[in-house]
Amino acid sequence: MTVAFAARVSVAPDVMFRLVGEEGVLVNLATERYLGLNAVGARMWQVLSNARSIQAACVQLLTEYDVDEATLRADVEDFVEQLLAQQLIHVGSPDPSPPS
Amino acid sequence: MIGSERHSYGVYGVAIRSNLRLGLPEYSHGAFAQVECVAGHEAEFAAAIRNARFDSPRGSWYQYAFLPDGSTYVRWDAVGQFLVSADGRRVVCRPDDEASDESFQVYLLGQALSFALVMQGFEPLHATAVVVNGTAVAFLGGNCFGKSTLAASFLGAGYPQLTDDMLVVQASSDRVVAYPGPPRIKLFSKVASTLTLCPAMTPHMNDGTDKRILTLEEPSSCASTVELRAIYSLVSPRDACRTTDVRLEPLSRREAFVALVKATFNRRIVGQDRMVRQFSAMATLAERVPVKTLSYPRVLDRLPDVRAAVLADLEQTSN
Repeated sequence: MTVAFAARVSVAPDVMFRLVGEEGVLVNLATERYLGLNAVGARMWQVLSNARSIQAACVQLLTEYDVDEATLRADVEDFVEQLLAQQLIHVGSPDPSPPS
Repeated sequence: MIGSERHSYGVYGVAIRSNLRLGLPEYSHGAFAQVECVAGHEAEFAAAIRNARFDSPRGSWYQYAFLPDGSTYVRWDAVGQFLVSADGRRVVCRPDDEASDESFQVYLLGQALSFALVMQGFEPLHATAVVVNGTAVAFLGGNCFGKSTLAASFLGAGYPQLTDDMLVVQASSDRVVAYPGPPRIKLFSKVASTLTLCPAMTPHMNDGTDKRILTLEEPSSCASTVELRAIYSLVSPRDACRTTDVRLEPLSRREAFVALVKATFNRRIVGQDRMVRQFSAMATLAERVPVKTLSYPRVLDRLPDVRAAVLADLEQTSN
């Protein structure tokens, strides 16, 4: 599956996330599964779930991690696919740009 | 055990109002919940479970059913039966004729009360805890993981027990506190003998086990609420069968969260409300209290080494 980087990630309605220290924990009430994220995963989750688009999240994460863009995009794509497989997120249209 | 007098007891931070004579300290103050435990008649139970659908396997000595009015019926053969109201504020109970008082109280104040606590929105842990230097140290683990045996080793060395098998904790803004359970411990006869706790003439927990119920008195039992300082998640005996050393390994907070969720008491009650509550309560606990795995060979004469390793770890983390 190919992830459209212009798309926006939104957290599935039955999913709760919480930071514990630098790591993250999730519960999906729909599938009744608990999940854990390491520190990098937790940060990716936070940025992705608040960004206008996956591309915007990549731009933000590039400023935070010492990584080349191609590697980061591959990691983000892989992460988003895993989140989709676990029914933790939806991927939809990007937020419209704010009026100028 | 049943009288006309009304008693008020305190256990797990809960005020228990009852017409039963229970082996618990009198209620003093500061309860965060109340449960009324009253003796019921056979007809009351028979009426409640008429047409009930039992979820437990046929022939099981443990039977339970969730009833249409939201209450829960639980029964252990040769122990007794319990009816827990939907709001968790009332437990009607009736011992079987052959049950000892001690055995009946173990089930009333353990499994049956756990239904009431979970229904009231609390999340007890499957853990035994001892008190070291005025703070609680908890051992998480499933049935037959050795929680009580390890606690007995601490008891034998002069460290009081806080609770056996079920641990209730509460987080406030500045600390997590652990509440005292009933002043008793359940041990296999061999363990109790080896650890110089006297098992003679003590009642069995039930007909199917050699586990005995030993009543503890101060100073072997702590009746005060104390701060929870550390949690050790016991590696299962099966996974530790090839272990020759005592090993302690810190868990990351995410790993601690998973260990804590797995150790929540009473897995019969499920649903989204409980998952939300477990998620919140265990994430808070994982953030606030260090959790480590504890792996050791299940050999009684190694228990002093295990105890020493835990004490050394506590000493190290306090510096």
